[in-house]
This record gives sequence, structure tokens and C-alpha cells, in this order.
Amino acid sequence: GAQKVVPGPIATEPKKEDKTVEFFRHLYKTRTTSIAGASKDVHPAVLALGLQMSNYTICGSCARLVATLQAFKRVIESYTTPPQNSLSRHLTSHVLSPQIEYLSSCRPLSISMGNAIRWLKLEVSKVDVSVPDAEAKKGLCDAIDVFIRERVTFADQVIARSAADKIKNGDVIMTYAKSSIVQRALVTAHEEGKKFRVIIVDSRPLHEGKHLAAALVKIGMDVKYCLINGLSHNIQDVTKVLLGAHAMMSNGRLFSRIGTALVAMEANEADKPVIVLCETIKFTERVALDSIVHNEIAPSDELVIPGGPLENWGDIKKLQLCNPMYDVTPADYIQMIVTESGNVPPTSVPVLHRLGNESQG
Amino acid sequence: MPSLQAGYAPNLGIFLKSLKTAPLESSIENLISLLKRRQIRNSRPCAIATAHLLLQVVAKFRWTDIGNLLERIQEVGQRLVEAQPREMVVGNIVRRVLGMIRDEAKEDRTEDASDSTSTSQLGSPRRERSESGSFRTEGGATSSSPLRFVSTDASTLSEASGDDVFGGRSQPTSRPPLLTSHTSYAVLNGVPVQQSMFNLLSATPTPSSTPPHTSSPHGKSTISASSLAQRIVITTRDLKAEVISGIEEIIDELDQVDDQIAAYAQEHIHSNEVILIHSSSLSVQKFLLKAAEKRRFTVIVAESYPNDHEATHAAVTGKVSPDVEGDEMSTETFLKPLSAAGITVILMTDATIFAIMSRVNKVILATHAVIANGGLIAAAGARIIAKAAKVHRTPVIVVSGVYKLSPEYPFEFESLIEYGDPGNIIGYGEGALVDHLEVDNPVYDYVPPDLVDLYITNLGAHAPSYLYRIVADHYKPEDINFHKPELQF
Repeated sequence: GAQKVVPGPIATEPKKEDKTVEFFRHLYKTRTTSIAGASKDVHPAVLALGLQMSNYTICGSCARLVATLQAFKRVIESYTTPPQNSLSRHLTSHVLSPQIEYLSSCRPLSISMGNAIRWLKLEVSKVDVSVPDAEAKKGLCDAIDVFIRERVTFADQVIARSAADKIKNGDVIMTYAKSSIVQRALVTAHEEGKKFRVIIVDSRPLHEGKHLAAALVKIGMDVKYCLINGLSHNIQDVTKVLLGAHAMMSNGRLFSRIGTALVAMEANEADKPVIVLCETIKFTERVALDSIVHNEIAPSDELVIPGGPLENWGDIKKLQLCNPMYDVTPADYIQMIVTESGNVPPTSVPVLHRLGNESQG
Repeated sequence: MPSLQAGYAPNLGIFLKSLKTAPLESSIENLISLLKRRQIRNSRPCAIATAHLLLQVVAKFRWTDIGNLLERIQEVGQRLVEAQPREMVVGNIVRRVLGMIRDEAKEDRTEDASDSTSTSQLGSPRRERSESGSFRTEGGATSSSPLRFVSTDASTLSEASGDDVFGGRSQPTSRPPLLTSHTSYAVLNGVPVQQSMFNLLSATPTPSSTPPHTSSPHGKSTISASSLAQRIVITTRDLKAEVISGIEEIIDELDQVDDQIAAYAQEHIHSNEVILIHSSSLSVQKFLLKAAEKRRFTVIVAESYPNDHEATHAAVTGKVSPDVEGDEMSTETFLKPLSAAGITVILMTDATIFAIMSRVNKVILATHAVIANGGLIAAAGARIIAKAAKVHRTPVIVVSGVYKLSPEYPFEFESLIEYGDPGNIIGYGEGALVDHLEVDNPVYDYVPPDLVDLYITNLGAHAPSYLYRIVADHYKPEDINFHKPELQF
């Protein structure tokens, strides 16, 4: 986590060279990495959360979603409607918006966060003007709890249960980087006494898979760890590929940590089933054809290895570093999506997304 | 090792310097241990070291006939190959030297037997000779009739050009048993063909080796016996000089190969293209620099973590990282980074390959070794790049010197893959993990030929399916298994 975007050597250059990569230029956003300059409206809980998100302490679509909603609960609890205002009109625009803005400046909001925030705004707008403040606030907090429980906690249990059932004795499961839900499925299967191996593929710069490997090794699982260069050497041994998701696009494509598409591609070439574990809260009506139109660009300095030749890369003209966070996996590589509403093919993503929204509405 | 200077890690430069002064046997041992300890590694340094060592072997070895020399080189070559079997160039260079010696010897003999028909020329080597060489010239020698020799030679030559499409060597009509020889290179590889035995034996002047049905073991032996002593005196010196200059030619080729490849660059890279390259390679860098003289384009560099990333980072920044470039320092001039040549360079991690591939126009891969079937061994990760390129219908170009082209054709490609230090992935500091986690760190990938669209070598651009033919031009079939005596007759 060394993201010194602004005060780096680039900024001190007299004529600042544009270090952004042309293909991704529309995606660059400077990240807030300190609370300096944050709006005074931002709640302390949100301030802390923003920093945790920007340095990947809280990482992963669901973890960020839950943490955000918990922080917003604190915001709502400490909120009092000013006189001559109603909660349903004031809360969203004057209190929640600065929080959201701050959070997204720390790290762009995940799609699941976007979904949840949209839901929360809807909930707020539905609060009756006549309801007293305390009651309305309690109602909202309860609604948030229910939302987290239904869409994340229970959903995770159902998905982990269902995915664990798919793991058989003797299986070799490959997964990429770290997904909390995949971890949960693997642990569940292991606790049931199933004998299987896990191959974790990982990549720079986040090395999230290492944390997963550490967690699995700790409970005595048989784990092999390799980086993406070892992918094609290990794919033949694999029987199933379990992947986590950042989001599922409406055209059936999987939006997930950069490198996932390579794993799915290799698995597809080797005829291994690719199973995506994804809560419906991560479904979106957006579509994506490639990984460039919609993505998140992390600070390039995260790629610099301390002490390596890349230090001061900013001084070298025409050299650019690019560190996108996600890629888009074509729908044909995905055999099944395990959700809390059942196991579906990628083509059913828009249907489930609609169902999910209707039941909320 | 007497010649190693204290305080310096031995590398190619120090080895080459020590060659001149150190006794031969200790030089051989020195190179073997350098190879074993990976202090000389990667294709080019290994090739250069091998060629220089063989030069010393030839220069210092006192030999009376060519067979002795061949045996000596085979023996040295075998030891080098055993020291580091996955540096396939070592074997390639040994094979080339062996083939060159055989050619020189043959030429020599031809000149002796029928001096009127000397078609020899030093300048334009192997191809022609390998076509018209071997047993046919011997046929001329045994019958000791220049006329007949000329005629067979002419006929086989014309045949050769006709046969080229099939990739086969011309088959001599005059010798029925040889018809069992190959038409395809692949056959040759696993099973040493009869022809190879004839050639092998024909190179040594032992009379019993002559095939049974030919005119005369006796005829030949009388010729040899009468002229042998005299010939050795006259020709050994010449032959030695020619062999040495032949090896020097190979060394020159190693020096120039990248520039020769680069000469094709502007044919293949055009303005505003986006080129994806992987890891750091001098060949590829020179290729792109050459193209940059005329055109502006963008290069995306995949860093090849965890084995080559430091070299890659050093290459894009133009810094010389001490441990990686150490080998190259003595032989390679400092190369400016691509960005200094006006090319936009984008460094990305290996994981981004699929994401970026939809914007890439061409993929250029460097190689560690190329195998006769058109597949290649390259830095780990190359295979997924090639595959992602295939998925996106992006052409994949492989840039490689001919010296990396190996006649070896293993059935199990995993045997060519080397596994590196897992400590590069999980540091030994992370005790708990290191104890319980199986960590996999392949250094090389095998990229099958169907993922490659084009090879660019110093001889030009070829389809992967044509490579076996270039192999056949460069190596003599009898030398292919020189390091495995059990596979030879």
C-alpha cells in the first residue's frame, strides 16, 4: 500500500508528463489517501472506512459493502433532522451524499456498493414524513441489518453450502486470488471431511491469494500456490475452477479481479468447469464487452517494488505503468453461477437481477 | 578453478578471458560448473561460451584424423549437455560444430579423390553441403571416377530441389538400402536412421564401415591406406584452420544474429500499432528499436513476475541490474531503453494480459529455445499470452536466432520445463506458509506451434510448420543424439 499519487516525483517535474495510459485515460481518478481536505460533513466512521478501503485493509466487494452499510448506520444514528426539514428529503442529499462522495474518492465504489446505496436511498425516500425521527432512524438501521443479513450473510451461507456440495472427494479445485465466498465454500467442504486439493493462483501486486493460502493451510488443507506464470502448468490437474466475482454483468460476463479471465480461459481450453460464486447483490444491469470500457485503475506506484529498478520510473519519459484492478471474463468460459437464488447459467444474470430488484421494490 | 578472480562472481566475460590462459581441461570443468551453478545462463551466453570452448578444444587438441576430433568434441559436448540439459543451445552449438567438421572433412576428401570437381566454398556453407554432401561424395570417392561422381552429384542435386516441398532429402538412386531413410525430419529424430550410420562411419577412415554392397571395402581401404599418411600430414593443418574458422563463423553469427533479425522489423511493425511483449529479451528489444527508427508505436510490456521481472524492469527503465545483466555486460553493448527511442512503453503485470489483449495488434515473444515441431520454450507465462492472443485473434510473432532452434523433440514437454526458486514467490521469511504450502514456480513455458503465427529468425520469416526444414539444414542427422550414446548405433 504505498500510493503517493500526488506528491510523487511526477508532480515536482517542471513540465509534468501525462503518465496515464491512453486506453484507460477515461478511468483515471486520483485517490484520497489521507483525511486531509475531507469535507467536514464526513462522519468519522466513514473517514476511517475510506482510508481502510484505499489501502486495501478492507478489500473485496462484499466486505466493502457490509462495512459501508455499517458505517452508514452510524451516520444515520448520529443524524438529527434539522428544523423545517424532513428526514426523507434531507438525509440523502445533505448527509449521505458527502459520505458517498468521500468514499468513492478513496476508492471507486464497487458495483455491489452502488446497488446497496441505491437501495438505501430508496428506503430513506420511503420514510413517512409523519414518523418521528428516532423511530425513522431505528427503522432504517433495522432495514440495513435485514438487508445485510438477507443479501450477504444468508446469501453467503446458501452459496457456500451449495458450492461445497459440488466439491467431491479427490477433487482438485483451482481458484484465483481471494474471494471470501470461495474461501467459505472450501472451508465448509473441508469441515465436512471431504478430501480435496486446492490450487491457488495469484498475481502481483495485491497477492490476495497468499492470504487465502495462509487461511487454508492453517486449518490443515492441502494447498498449492502459484503465480499466474504457473497457471498453464497446473490447469491439467484441476477438476473444477471456483471463482469469486466483483460483479456479474447483464450480458453474462464476469467482472472480477484482474487475471480471472486468464484462469477461466485456461480452464475452458482444458475443458475444466468454471463455477462462479456470486451473491445477487453483485448483479448489475450494466454490460461490458471488454475490460477497458469499465474498470478501476489503481495507482501505478503500487507496482513499484521497493529497491527495484522501477523506483523513480516517473522520471523516464514515455514510460507508463498501468495497474487496472479488474477484467471481464467472456460468458462462454463460465459454466455455472452459484447464487443464493439457485445455480444459473450466465445468460440468466439479467433475469435474476430483475427478480432481485422487484422483490425489494 | 585457477582463473577465477576473487571478489567477482564468475560470469561469461570472466570465463572467456580465462579461456585464453587456462589449460583446456580446467576450462571445460570451469564451464561445466558455471553451467551447473547457473552463473552462465540464458541462451546467448551459453551459446557463446560453448562456441568459444569448442574453439579451444579444436585448437589445442592434437588429432591425427577427423574421427578423433569428432569423438573428442562429442565427448566434451556430452559433458556440457549433461551439466545443464535444459540449456538446449549448448547441444545446438556442439551439433553445429560437429556438422561443420564433417562438412570440412568431406570436402577435403572430395578434393583429394577428385580434385577436378571441387565445388567447395567456404563462404556459402551448410545448406548446399548438407544437400549434396555425405554419402554421395563418398560414392564418388570409392568408385574413384570423377565422371561418375559428377553425374550422381548433379542428379541428386536436381532431385533435392524437386524434393524440397516434402522436406525430404534427396534419396540417392544408386543405393537402394538408403531408401529406408527419412522423408520427414520427425522420423529422423527419435530413430537414428541408417543413413546416419553410413555417414558417421564414412567420416572415419575405417574400411570395414563401407556398406556391404558397394563396390569395394578393399578398393577403398587401398586408397585410404596408400594416401592416408600423406594426407594427414598435408591436410590436418588446413583442416584444422578451416574448422577453426568455421567455429569463428558460428561465433560471428551469434554476435550478429539480433541485428540480422532486427533487419526484418520494419516489415512487421507499422505506425500506431500496439505491440505486446513479454519479459526482457535483447533480440526483441533490438527488433523494436530498429522498427522505432522509422515508426511510432506503443509497446506493452508484461513483466514476467517472479523470475524475470527485475530484468524486465531494468530493461524498460534502462538501468542495468547487477545480477541479471552481469552475464551480458562483457558481450553486449549497453542498449537504450525503448522509451528513449520515442516509443511509448507501458509496463503491466502478467495478470492484465487478457484485459489488454483486445487492444493489442501484435504479440512478439522471445524464446529460450525453439523445438523442431515449431513449438517454443519461453519464459513462464508466454503460453497464456499466446493463448489469450489466439482467443482475441491477435497474431503472435516469435523472434529467435537460428542457434536457438533445437533438433530435439521430446514427447513429454514437461521435461523441458525448469522449475525455479519458490522463494521468489513466498519468501523464506514467511515461515508458517513455507512449511505447509506447496509452491510452484516454473521458469519456462512450452508454447505449442498452433499458438504461433510466425517465426522471425536471422534467415527470414517462417511458418512454424517450416522450422523442421531449417533444423535439417543446420544439423546433421547423425549428430542429433550425440549426447545420448545409447540412441546411436
